[in-house]
Amino acid sequence: MPKAETIIDFKGPITFATMEMLLNQLRSASQLAAMRKPAKKRLYGTVVETLDNIFKYAADVAPDTRSKRRMPQLKVVKKGPEFIVTAGNQVLNEHVEDLKFKLDRVNQLDDEALKSLYEEVINQEAGDTDNGAGLGLITMALRTEQDLRYSFTSLDSAHSFFTMQITIKE
Amino acid sequence: MEKLIIDPTANSPRVVLDPERNYFEFSGESRPENVRKFYLPILEWLENFNAEQAKLGDAERVHGLQSQFNFAYFNSTSAKYILDIFKALSDLNSHGIDIVVHWFYEEDDEDMLEVGTEMSRMSKLPFEYVKVDEQE
Repeated sequence: MPKAETIIDFKGPITFATMEMLLNQLRSASQLAAMRKPAKKRLYGTVVETLDNIFKYAADVAPDTRSKRRMPQLKVVKKGPEFIVTAGNQVLNEHVEDLKFKLDRVNQLDDEALKSLYEEVINQEAGDTDNGAGLGLITMALRTEQDLRYSFTSLDSAHSFFTMQITIKE
Repeated sequence: MEKLIIDPTANSPRVVLDPERNYFEFSGESRPENVRKFYLPILEWLENFNAEQAKLGDAERVHGLQSQFNFAYFNSTSAKYILDIFKALSDLNSHGIDIVVHWFYEEDDEDMLEVGTEMSRMSKLPFEYVKVDEQE
């Protein structure tokens, strides 16, 4: 079994400044130095999209639930020829079904069908933020050869902890 | 019309919309904190430019507009707005303003080349693809 090398292991609130710090940490990691540029860009893009996703759901953490709050987390590990990106964040239970639907949908589609879905979603009117249409998930699914692995752990009657794992080949 | 120039940052691209020089440019990374706030003034500028050009006779209109798209990276939220920019340029093109779009991609970066071909197809605007050596 190849040894796992940790590149990023972060747990805490994700602000835009934190995103910059984590991306700088990724860019300067020695494990990326010998990597082919396109694969490096895929890894970089995957980390940006996962951080954007966490950032987007930050509003799901209401102040009155802070005591029960589980901090967002991001882990990037190199294991042999693979980079494994694991991201976790708290979401409202009312968002769980929609997220599951979008994740299952991209996992079931082949590349051609994903591209058609990408075209459909990108041509929708842009909302205030990402409009939750899932363009980030589609983009990540197109850049990895494996499924987007995910889980939801119930925290209380209103919240769950969402974890997603994406593998990028060197 | 006044030119629009936006200096680049670590997370937002350099933007040049300069009708006097017949030159448009987008280069660098695009993952600004508020993507909508960043791109809306650009789309509004293009809309006004389009309206202004539509009022002019053929002799007064801009011709041979050069546009360069040299993105190192853009996130999926930016992609929506970048496609909207191409749709605006496509409208200009259909009003008789000839535009050359140069889409830069690094050697071996098939993802960037592929997203360029998709943007071109979806906006119905022909692109010229420019392969560049890997940049650090």
